[in-house]
Amino acid sequence: MTTHALADSATMLRRQLRHMKRYPSLTFMLAGMPVVFLLLFAYVFGGALGAGIGGPTGGRADYIDYLVPGVILMTVAAAAQGTAISVAMDMTEGIVNRFRTMAISRASVLTGHVLGSLVQTMISMVIVLGVALLIGFRPTATPVEWLAVIGVLVLLTFALIWLSVALGMVSESVETASNLPMPLILLPFLGSGFVPTDSMPTALRWFAEYQPFTPVIETLRGLLLGTPIGGSAYLALGWCVVIALGGYLWAKKLYNRTR
Amino acid sequence: MTTLQARPTHTGLGNALTDHLTMIGRCVRLTRRNTETLIMSIALPLLMMLLFVYVFGGAINTGTQYVNYVVPGIVLLCTGYGAAATAMAVANDMTTGVIDRLRTLPIRGSAVLTGHVVASVARNALSTTIVVTAAVVMGFRPRAAFAEWLLAAGLLLLYVLALSWFAAGLGVIAKSVESASALSFVMLFLPYLSSAFVPPHTMPRFLRGISEHQPITPVIETVRGLLTGTPIGANGWIALLWCTGLLAAASTFAAWLFRRRNAV
Repeated sequence: MTTHALADSATMLRRQLRHMKRYPSLTFMLAGMPVVFLLLFAYVFGGALGAGIGGPTGGRADYIDYLVPGVILMTVAAAAQGTAISVAMDMTEGIVNRFRTMAISRASVLTGHVLGSLVQTMISMVIVLGVALLIGFRPTATPVEWLAVIGVLVLLTFALIWLSVALGMVSESVETASNLPMPLILLPFLGSGFVPTDSMPTALRWFAEYQPFTPVIETLRGLLLGTPIGGSAYLALGWCVVIALGGYLWAKKLYNRTR
Repeated sequence: MTTLQARPTHTGLGNALTDHLTMIGRCVRLTRRNTETLIMSIALPLLMMLLFVYVFGGAINTGTQYVNYVVPGIVLLCTGYGAAATAMAVANDMTTGVIDRLRTLPIRGSAVLTGHVVASVARNALSTTIVVTAAVVMGFRPRAAFAEWLLAAGLLLLYVLALSWFAAGLGVIAKSVESASALSFVMLFLPYLSSAFVPPHTMPRFLRGISEHQPITPVIETVRGLLTGTPIGANGWIALLWCTGLLAAASTFAAWLFRRRNAV
């Protein structure tokens, strides 16, 4: 039975990868928005924000280093939006009903989406990271720290994708599915992604410090640039597990309920 | 055998005025019915203002309260969203056969575009009022006298007129509403490459050149100077030149394109 489930999931993953191959523009679009924000904040606002946040030289170069972890998280959030859209398309266009008539593992449809999106997000992240390195991002991470960075990013991506699968299933239309994950794209802005939380007004600072993306950003920043991590790593892992579990259970419930 | 007759047209100033007022009324009604676009064109700049004032404002040093610095830029960003809506509305008219139906009626062709432009100005007046009111709630404290308010409003009106005619031209060129939306991107993106959010001297040299020599920066600097008392220098005249030049070129070009696309 488990073998069947794995084989079916692999088939569904192949389907997602084939979609990706046929529509490469989608992957570039997912990477496109974070790249635009990266360039905008690095070159247009970077001088002013770099001077404002301090740092060793307090300029654009420092700000690029500060900025990249937040933009990487934005890439994950943008990919989550893409997942919600593709799940909603499958749910509303009747393909899932056709899959249900086949002798395949029920969970494999969702698993295929999750794994396919995971691959797509990783490709997008590599593109964003490549652009970041080109414009002057200089991480000081060791190979072990890079592995830890990849681990954190995979875990976060996995968590947000399960959440976005649920959001895609709860949506009545593709338009709704594209709007529901919008808050996820906003969260890096309302965290320590672009400016330190201590430069924000009190109420906003409180929100920024206790929302899920801030500990993830601080962990990535610490691993990539050697800034102090403190308890952020445990908080980041905790948030990822909670979001992944919540998203998975919600998606599973919705999928089993849909007839 | 049937002979083709030229469609009757209204002649005289009174009829021309009636045609234009009818089309303005139509476009205002369209705006009222398409509330989603109206709300979005106000909500997005408001969101940007909240984001920049509360999230980034504390880290940006402009030598003044950041909310006072950013408001003129947000107002111009708002006009960009409004103009994009105009481009899409014109494209919608051009591609859905509405123009063909209007051509069978005895009305002036120029009234169609004028209707869209005047409705755009009305929309922008509303959105600017909302944005400035929200800014005052957030701590914006203009120091302008009544005459300065009038000058700022006059310059903004001229800028909105110019941008709306430019947008109308884009709407005429566009083959679909989607492509009109894509063509409008430049109007939405230019404010970011200006002095709207950060002083140009903080930008790299190549961007500073773009920022200092594009039409939006002098308009922003003039409005900022009039409202908050920062030095204007030659920006007032440069802004006036840009706006009148763009208005003359865009209105002529849009009208010519419209006639060309609707030639029998």
